[in-house]
Order: sequence, then C-alpha cells, then structure tokens
Amino acid sequence: MDVAFSLTQPWTVLFGPSGSGKTTVLRAIAGFVQPDAGRIVSCFYGREFVMTDTAKKIFVKPHERSVRVAGQGAALFPHLTVRENIAFGARPQTEGTAAAAIVEEAIARFQLPALAEKFPSMLSGGERQRVAIARAATAAVSLGEGSILLLDEPFTGQDVRLRDELIEELRGWLAIMERPVLSVTHDVGETFQLGTEVIKIAEGRVVQQGPVAEVLAGERERLLEQLNASKRSPA
Amino acid sequence: MDFEALWLTLRLAVGTTAILLLVALPLAWWIASGRGAGRALVQSVVALPLVLPPTVLGFYLLIALGPLSAPGRLLIRVVGHPLAFSFAGLLVGSVIYSLPFAVQPLVSGFAAVDGAYVEAAAGLGASPWRTFWSVVLPLTRGSLLTSAVLTFTHTVGEFGVVLMLGGNIPGATQTLSISLYDKVQEFNYAAANRTALVLVAVSLAALLLIYSRRGGLRRGELV
Repeated sequence: MDVAFSLTQPWTVLFGPSGSGKTTVLRAIAGFVQPDAGRIVSCFYGREFVMTDTAKKIFVKPHERSVRVAGQGAALFPHLTVRENIAFGARPQTEGTAAAAIVEEAIARFQLPALAEKFPSMLSGGERQRVAIARAATAAVSLGEGSILLLDEPFTGQDVRLRDELIEELRGWLAIMERPVLSVTHDVGETFQLGTEVIKIAEGRVVQQGPVAEVLAGERERLLEQLNASKRSPA
Repeated sequence: MDFEALWLTLRLAVGTTAILLLVALPLAWWIASGRGAGRALVQSVVALPLVLPPTVLGFYLLIALGPLSAPGRLLIRVVGHPLAFSFAGLLVGSVIYSLPFAVQPLVSGFAAVDGAYVEAAAGLGASPWRTFWSVVLPLTRGSLLTSAVLTFTHTVGEFGVVLMLGGNIPGATQTLSISLYDKVQEFNYAAANRTALVLVAVSLAALLLIYSRRGGLRRGELV
C-alpha cells in the first residue's frame, strides 16, 4: 500500500471497493497496524501531534492517540450493559462537562433510552452497531478538542430510515463539538449522504480526492443507469 | 478425625491458591497473548509437574531447598532455617507442583477472548492494564474460578511432593492425605475412612462449585 492524504473537512469519507485497503489505512491511523514507512500526524490550531513517524521511530500506542475508533463489527463488551458500554470510553471530565452528562446525551441522541439497561446479546445487529457508533462518538467527544473519530463501515446493517436519522444526529453532535470524522465505506449512496470530501482508494493507492459530486460522478451515473434499467425490466 | 492435619491442609491450600493466582494471572496472559520459542519453553516448564512423578519433583525441591545446594544454603542464611521439612517449604513445593493447574485454565480462557474486544477497548482509549482488568478478566471469570478451585483441591490432595519435601511431622507438615496414609499403616480403617470422606467431600464441593457456576454465567461470559 502507498497512500498520502490530508483531512481538512469536518467529515471525510474513505471510499473504495472491498480489498482496496481502506480499512488498513484506518487501522494504521488508529495504531492497530504499523506502516513500513510513513508519517501520520494530527494538527490542531497549528500544533502538530505525531502519531507515527517511521523515520524517527515514533509510534504512539493506540490508546494514547488523539483518535477514537468504531471498527468493523460492533464488538460491544458482552458483560456490560448498553449504558456501561457507552460510558467505557468517556473520560471523567471534559471541558467542564461530566462524563455522565455526555453519556446521557449520547443515549438520547442515538435513540437508546429503551435499550440502555440491556446487554448486547439482547440486541439486534443494527442496534448493536448503533451502540458501537454512540460509544465511539462519546469517547471522541469526551477526549476533548483535537480528537478525531474513525468509523469503519459504520452504518452497515441499519435500515435506511434509521441510518438517515443516525447520520444527521452524529453529524450535528460532532459539528457542535468540533470533532472531525474519517469514515470508511464502499456504499455510493451512503458516501453521497455523508461526505463533503471523499478520498477514493483502489488497490492500495489514492486515486482521487475532492468533493463527493466530483469524485464519485461516474459511480453515481452507473448507479442511476442500473436503477433505471431495473425499473424498465418487468419483475 | 485429625483436626490438626485438616487445619494445616486448609492453610496450605488457601496459601497456595492465593500465591498462585497472583503468579498465574500475568503468566497466563503473557502465554496467551503471543507466540514464539520463549513462550513454548515457558509453557513446557509450567506443564512439567503434570507429567513428572511427584517424587521426582519432591526430590529436586528437597535438594534445592536444603543445605546440599547453593540456593538452599542461601535460603537458610536468609530465612534462618532450612525450608525443607517446614510449612514454608511445603508452601513453596505446593506452589510449584500446582502451577499448571492454576495457569492452564487461565491460558485457555484468555485465548478464547475475541481480539476484537481488546482492540475496541484500545480504540476507546483504554490502556492495556485497564483493558485487562475491565474487559479481559470479567470475560474470563469462569476460568479464574476453575483455576482457583483446581489449585485448591489439587493442593488438598497432594501426597508425593508433600511427603518428600515435608516428611510427616504432625502439626508442621502432616497434611490430611499423609494422615490418611498413616492411619492405613496402623490398620485403623475407621479413622482412615473418616479422613478419606473429608477429602472426598472437599473435592466434590469444589467440583459442584465449578459446574453449578457454569449454569449461571452472565450473558456473553466465557468459561
């Protein structure tokens, strides 16, 4: 793999087909894998925080990075309730707000009050994924300014109506709290809905970066043609 | 009923279990969280008491803790007396002899924990220490209980190592299993039967604890 890009927008989507390497990029930023060569740096108000720099032999451990992650698959802790899962990543105090208040806000925003005392084994796949997003977002908000939220295929398994609501809630909360997001997906429709900025990746290389309408114009056309063809052909 | 031997056996079993849990937790986590020649060697050494005759282990411990070896002489200088034929010596022997019974269930439990949970915890900012205590250990409570119970019952039933290392000194090194042996040698079968029944009851109660606990695990908890 050989990729280089910068994130400048509140929400950036890493788009590419399965096996293109987008999850590997996300895992490298999270610190779960170490690149053979390269730098990963986060900047906040002109200050640089080096997370990985192979030339200088710098590799910050995942839990010490200014990123919070929701990986593929919810991976909710099975011995904790939904509320306890969401509270897991919350720091005791953030910018004058108690962790408990952030947790309660996440539960309300992600429509989880009815599930708050349930264990993950009692939830559907879509509900688990929703809790995983709420947990990672809570951790990012709680970490403080300068933190980045990384989401790997976050809306897989959500029904369309709920997905739309979730995206709006998440976008609204993170915009207020000024926490940028880098999310990974292979879904064209979801990318249009999510991203002001898209990084298109294929075979381990960045093919194009720019506004979604520009980068994914071809994919959009193909998708519309397929849709029209399916409407024309009898069921 | 030999209450002196019963009391000594219980003290030995509780002491061995407490020490071994402290030793086995980090050792098992280290073994379970990687591969390599070093880990294979450590795992083999840990499992050695499972395959060695207890008399072999007892013999080498007797030499190592007594005045015939350099470590034994050093220990005598530090402690003030030989550890062989003392309760402290028995404790050392029991810890080594029961090590695999404490470590193996924990290694199996830790290895069964899905790596996705460990990664998720790190992705939420939890240090490896917090991940271990807040995620890994609660998910392996069943294995922890199995480890503690097996260590306890195995120590209660020890014979060969205890006899080689501690001899048969009432009140100092005579455990229930040795007291039972003594009574059989004296043809006092009624007393031997009472002692044997206590050993059977302790073992059965311990196994009941493990199997009844398995029926009541919290959702998602691993054994």
